[in-house]
Amino acid sequence: MLSYFSNPQRFDGLARRVIPVLGVLTVLLLGIGIYLSFFGSPPDYQQGDTVRIMYVHVPAAYMAMALYAALAGASFVFFVWRHALADAAAEVIAPIGAVFTVLALFTGSLWGKPMWGTWWEWDARMTSVLVLLLVYLGYMALRAALEDAQQAARAGAVLAMAGVVNLVIVKFSVDWWSSLHQPASVIRFDGPTIHSSQLWPLAIMALAYTMLAAWLVFYRLRSRAVIQRARQIERRKLQAARAAQSTQGSGA
Amino acid sequence: MSRLGAVFAREARLAWSGGGGPAGPAAFFLAAITLAPLAIGPSPELLAAAGPGLMGFAALLSVLQSAERLYGDDFSDGTLDLYALSPMGLSLLCLAKTLGQGIATLWPLPVIVLLGGLMYGVPLQPSLMLAAALAAAIPALVLLAGFAGALAAGVRRSGLLIALIAAPMMVPVLIFAAGAGRAGFEGDERALANLVLTASVSLGTIALVPFGIAAAVRSRLG
Repeated sequence: MLSYFSNPQRFDGLARRVIPVLGVLTVLLLGIGIYLSFFGSPPDYQQGDTVRIMYVHVPAAYMAMALYAALAGASFVFFVWRHALADAAAEVIAPIGAVFTVLALFTGSLWGKPMWGTWWEWDARMTSVLVLLLVYLGYMALRAALEDAQQAARAGAVLAMAGVVNLVIVKFSVDWWSSLHQPASVIRFDGPTIHSSQLWPLAIMALAYTMLAAWLVFYRLRSRAVIQRARQIERRKLQAARAAQSTQGSGA
Repeated sequence: MSRLGAVFAREARLAWSGGGGPAGPAAFFLAAITLAPLAIGPSPELLAAAGPGLMGFAALLSVLQSAERLYGDDFSDGTLDLYALSPMGLSLLCLAKTLGQGIATLWPLPVIVLLGGLMYGVPLQPSLMLAAALAAAIPALVLLAGFAGALAAGVRRSGLLIALIAAPMMVPVLIFAAGAGRAGFEGDERALANLVLTASVSLGTIALVPFGIAAAVRSRLG
């Protein structure tokens, strides 16, 4: 299937149809999800209305990780099979994932203030999400720094795959590190079981975020292809103009 | 094997002749641990408690500071092209090259840590623990810096980019190496566990990262 859609024209045909569908789904699901999380779900018995931050926070954190998995998967496909589309996907996914990571950190901070009494807590999970943001930034900086597109693609793929191994080890080491601290004295909210009145809005919001991310990815992939085509046409025009000039020059 | 030894020795010699050998990282490290107390204040309790962590962090910065040299010059003068053509296997060559240069330039850091321990008022036992952990961490730190350096070789102002790429990868080493010193200071028996974990992360990077460096070099040679 992948090699089928690696033909740019076929992919363009697919993207043209998929983009509006994803857009409509995103708006619809976000509408329902936001309604449910504000009005359709009860306030928490402990946290009151601040629990509603969960509906924007947890899906963002989930997307931050899922998009990194997608980035690494696309990089792997590019590294092994050299599909140009896989590299385009990796390039396009990175900034979207970084924005979701910032969103997760930001909403988490807003939630932490009323719940734990602090904007930031150096606990294992938050620290590893912060490291994830650094990994995204490093990936984007490397790609931006390498001028040769082929080199940028391959070096980026190597870095993105190494990042997976790194993030797993970081997760374990940060757990060890925060267990060296004294246990946090703030109240911890770790609901292993979640009531269905909260699960529904959360699930719909997670689905809405997924659609939003997919929409953005397809949209950016298509606009990237359009930009490339425009550059090609420009280059050809320039070449034609130069050729015309040189024949004129030789004629005179 | 002797050919790998020759690469190792070449890198070590180059580090001495071209870049002043260990002087750069050592001076940087010394400057960093001298300036830190000026920033956080002279209170002896605070300095002794923060000392092991600060020194671990400063050691990481001095590895990053010298990382640009690891692959930048050999990328621009074509040495890496020759290495890639060699029948020896690029990953082995990269391992010998990185460790050769890293050990030649970074060996004073554990010694300076003992000095820094005196300056910060850290007792001898945790100082020794931190020095041992740092010595165990140097292969991991330099290989990770080498991986980032190979990816960013020949880029303008690559130092910043290398630091951004390598920093997240150095998180585990920093945690365990500095943790050995910190746990030693707090009288926690996990100091030894941290030291062993540092050594195991180092061994793991020696086993895995050379392949990453080789892939990075190939991706940049095009």
